[in-house]
Amino acid sequence: MRSTLLGCLLACAPTIALSGTVEFRLADTKGRPVADAVVSLVPLDAPAHVAPPAVPLEIMQQGQEFRPYVTALVVGTAVSFPNRDTVQHHVYSLSQPKMFELPLYAGESKQAIVFDRPGVVALGCNIHDWMAAYIVVLETPWFARTGANGTATITAVPAGRYRAEVWHPRLAKGETRPVAVAAEASVPFSFTLALKPDRRVHRAPGAGSGGYK
Amino acid sequence: MRALFRFRQFRSQLLCVLLLGLGASLGIFMLVVRQTSEARAMEEVRADFDEAARILRRLVEDKAGPLSQNAQIFAHDYSFIQAYRTGDDATIRSALLSARGRCHASHMALVDLDGRSRVDLGRNAAVGTTSPYASLIRRAAADDKDYDFDYGYLGDEFSILVVVPIRVGESTVAWIGLAEGIDDVIAGDLKDISRVDVTFLNRAHGLLISTTAESLRPALAAEFGGASAAHAPETAVHLLAGEQLLAQRFDLPGADGSHTVVVLTYSLGEKLAPSRALQRLLLEIGLLLLAVGGLVGNVVARGVSEPVRRLAAHTQVIAGGDYAARLTLDRADELGQLADSFNAMSTGLAERDLVRDLLDKNVSPEVAAQLMRDGATLGGEEREVTILFADLRGFTTLSERMQPPELLALLNRYLDRMSAEIERHGGVIDKFIGDAIMALFGAPLAQDDAADRALAAALAMEHALADLNAELAAEGRLPLALGIGVNTARVVAGNIGSHRRLNYSVIGDGVNVAARLQALTRTAEYRTNILTSAATLAAARGRRFATRPLGAVTVKGRAGAVEIFAVEPA
Repeated sequence: MRSTLLGCLLACAPTIALSGTVEFRLADTKGRPVADAVVSLVPLDAPAHVAPPAVPLEIMQQGQEFRPYVTALVVGTAVSFPNRDTVQHHVYSLSQPKMFELPLYAGESKQAIVFDRPGVVALGCNIHDWMAAYIVVLETPWFARTGANGTATITAVPAGRYRAEVWHPRLAKGETRPVAVAAEASVPFSFTLALKPDRRVHRAPGAGSGGYK
Repeated sequence: MRALFRFRQFRSQLLCVLLLGLGASLGIFMLVVRQTSEARAMEEVRADFDEAARILRRLVEDKAGPLSQNAQIFAHDYSFIQAYRTGDDATIRSALLSARGRCHASHMALVDLDGRSRVDLGRNAAVGTTSPYASLIRRAAADDKDYDFDYGYLGDEFSILVVVPIRVGESTVAWIGLAEGIDDVIAGDLKDISRVDVTFLNRAHGLLISTTAESLRPALAAEFGGASAAHAPETAVHLLAGEQLLAQRFDLPGADGSHTVVVLTYSLGEKLAPSRALQRLLLEIGLLLLAVGGLVGNVVARGVSEPVRRLAAHTQVIAGGDYAARLTLDRADELGQLADSFNAMSTGLAERDLVRDLLDKNVSPEVAAQLMRDGATLGGEEREVTILFADLRGFTTLSERMQPPELLALLNRYLDRMSAEIERHGGVIDKFIGDAIMALFGAPLAQDDAADRALAAALAMEHALADLNAELAAEGRLPLALGIGVNTARVVAGNIGSHRRLNYSVIGDGVNVAARLQALTRTAEYRTNILTSAATLAAARGRRFATRPLGAVTVKGRAGAVEIFAVEPA
């Protein structure tokens, strides 16, 4: 985060005092808060400068799940996939922005993967159908991920015109909407999202079901 | 054999027979319908059972088929092979968990070539012990199959077990076992499709699954949970928990040596309900028919019995002597013919009566009675008879002076008076010969006093003629005179004539004598109207008349003389 901020400072140094805040509030059509959505602001007036962090991010495997489920990052960010389970995992991506696989391994992943093209990367484990995770590769430093209450706040946004973008795994198409950010002001921004049904493979609840005594 | 019950009326008998016949037919019909429908219901249930057994097999195959296919796909899956090759049981276990979801199996295990459990997703499965799939794997390995499935048990869960080999190259390195429980869903599907209740039982575990009512289950378990079925599937009626059930049991042997008993049941009442409803309807229709039949039968019986009753009444009328009464039934059938016959009979009787009447007029009542009694036979008997001959004197002269009708009227008047006197004295008019009368005494009925009667009759005739003459004188007519001859002799009496025409009469010499005596009355010196013979006087016992001997005369055609006497009032 520090490097993002740094990049922003470098890019927008003259207008730093003139920055505002955008408060996103995401709900589905039934009014329930939408978590794990990535919100971002793409500047329309001037191209944004992004600076990837120097230290790789981590998406770990724990309890035979990826954590976190959704990760937003800027182009050029490196990610490592440490395995904190007792069982081995085989992490792979078949998504356009970054195709890769890390064959069955335990412990630390041998290499960090650099996500150098924008887009959404879906992760899976070859031997565990229920394991899934998403990496959203962005070209803007202004982004955030909604929490359980469906809200996300992007601060220190230079005043100006932006295109607000919302992405979620169950959203058919990313929502976009223009937004004007004014200095020293907070823009409340509500989205109602038509989410597709949850089609994730549900992990069998442990070893208990169907077993014999 | 005496009838137990006698009908007072032909009508009620007819009606009773009709109703009994109808009722019996109805009863037999109902019985046949009942038997047939019940036999048919049993047959249908048997067919349903066979169908249910087929459906069950199909449902199990439908589960085992995809399970086997999925398992085969999975066993050759690159990712799984990779996981397997790690040799890490925890990784393999987690990969099996993932595969279990993909294969829609309820249980999965990795079993080594010796049938020992290596990884088992079962809750309490002990790794390293003999796997529940071991016997099935043994069988599949022996047959070198790509998969195999059979019934089996995971603990106490009745399941379909599937095994597929994991191969590296050509050689099998391990086996994957998958299972899907045979549960309420399969039983429910079977019930939905076949409408037959199904119960799975095992001797060790008791009742496993059942679609029957909770209340029936303990009885079912007690009835079928014991010994395994040694015989072929057999349908039988069982009385369980107060309900009649049609049941069929068969065995599902498992590869692991287990025996699961399947009991298919169907409520007999439920199966028979439609046929019972039909029978009830038929019974109602039948009773209605019986009622209608009774009404129609009553009308028909009356139609038959009423003419019979009228015939009976008519018979009594005829018996009463009314031959003129006629019966009109206006029917073309046998009863109509009977009525016609009755009428013909009445006519016949009336004719007979008429004949009798005519006979009475033409022959004397005694002869008529004898004829009626003995019939007109050409019999003959010799007997003593007194013969009376009476003749009107000078009738020829009279007839010349009178018109025929007048003459006949006078003659009849005379004959009527004379006949009355003869009959009054018990004589029988034998015949009228023109103006002459021949009468018999002592024939055809024997009379002890025939001679007395004949003589008395002769005197009475003379007296009656005097009376008639007085009447004639008053009418201005000429008087009549007669002559009477009476003789007693043994003669032959009987019906004389041809077969077509008969007369009761007497023949013999004595008859000629009587006629001759009558003729002799014309002899003036005798001064009498009545002559009789010594034979008659000998036969006569009474002395109510006087006689005057006139000597002996010879009679033509007779040897010896006949003593004659004039008869006068005493």
